[in-house]
Amino acid sequence: MRHALLLRLGRVPYEPALRLQRALHALRRAGRVPDLLLALEHEPVVTLGRAGNNADLLLSPAELRKQGVEVYAVERGGAATYHGPGQLVLYPIVHLRELELSLREYVGRLEEVLIRTGKEFGVELFRRPGHPGAWHARGKVGFIGIHVHRWVTLHGLAMNVDLKPNGFAWIVPCGLKDVPVASLSELSAAPCPLVEVERVAIEAFSEVFGMETVEISGEEVRPWLSRNG
Amino acid sequence: MDLVVPDLGAVDEVTLLRWLKGEGEEVAAGEAVAEVEADKAVFVIEAPVSGILRRRAPEGAKVRPGEPIALVLTP
Repeated sequence: MRHALLLRLGRVPYEPALRLQRALHALRRAGRVPDLLLALEHEPVVTLGRAGNNADLLLSPAELRKQGVEVYAVERGGAATYHGPGQLVLYPIVHLRELELSLREYVGRLEEVLIRTGKEFGVELFRRPGHPGAWHARGKVGFIGIHVHRWVTLHGLAMNVDLKPNGFAWIVPCGLKDVPVASLSELSAAPCPLVEVERVAIEAFSEVFGMETVEISGEEVRPWLSRNG
Repeated sequence: MDLVVPDLGAVDEVTLLRWLKGEGEEVAAGEAVAEVEADKAVFVIEAPVSGILRRRAPEGAKVRPGEPIALVLTP
């Protein structure tokens, strides 16, 4: 079985996590490290993918900044999204060629991870053709936005668990007007603590990608980064 | 040599998001030249060989896998 190194970061601000995943992506592209999976939660932040712009913001960047929320334009696909406390984020840094996955198949696998995770908490999520993600009749619960360079992935998926605050109110999510956003906790009869959702989602990732995860610490990763300059 | 949109797996059409290199600019083999987007995924296309870039499609164009979007003129 293939292995993926699992790095659980807890709640981290967006920018250092972005720098970390870019640095690890460069190491993976260079073939210096194996596949990786980052699991984390962000401090409140709005990001714009390549298809997004400031027109997708309902509050100006200045108004958002007043609330301590920065806006980042990043290299992933998709438009505007929100990350924050109560949302699980997974960033797989994997080599699609080595996994023998096409880009389309990879997106389908990420959707499968979201759907299986929902199911464990009694929530039926489904796909919507042409709109990657995981949907419920009451709204979009799971989000996907990725970047692929030299067949190595960057960015990944996010799943709303119990958002506080609900920063999706500040943006037009995914550039789609009138798309309601929902959270696992409001759809599930069972409690959904974030750490449990994280555990279940990592397990789903492992099954869906046929990879065993091996946990490593931030301490172990740091020397690789300095080695890289 | 043609710069071709790679097969991304049952994707009919992608959007040419942006050129990372200018018209007539020198590119090195393996260097990132353009970004295309499909299915919430941005995919970086690299130069197959070193040479001079001659673009054949504008940013925002819908292009198909296998379709040449530029020429890389080799010395």
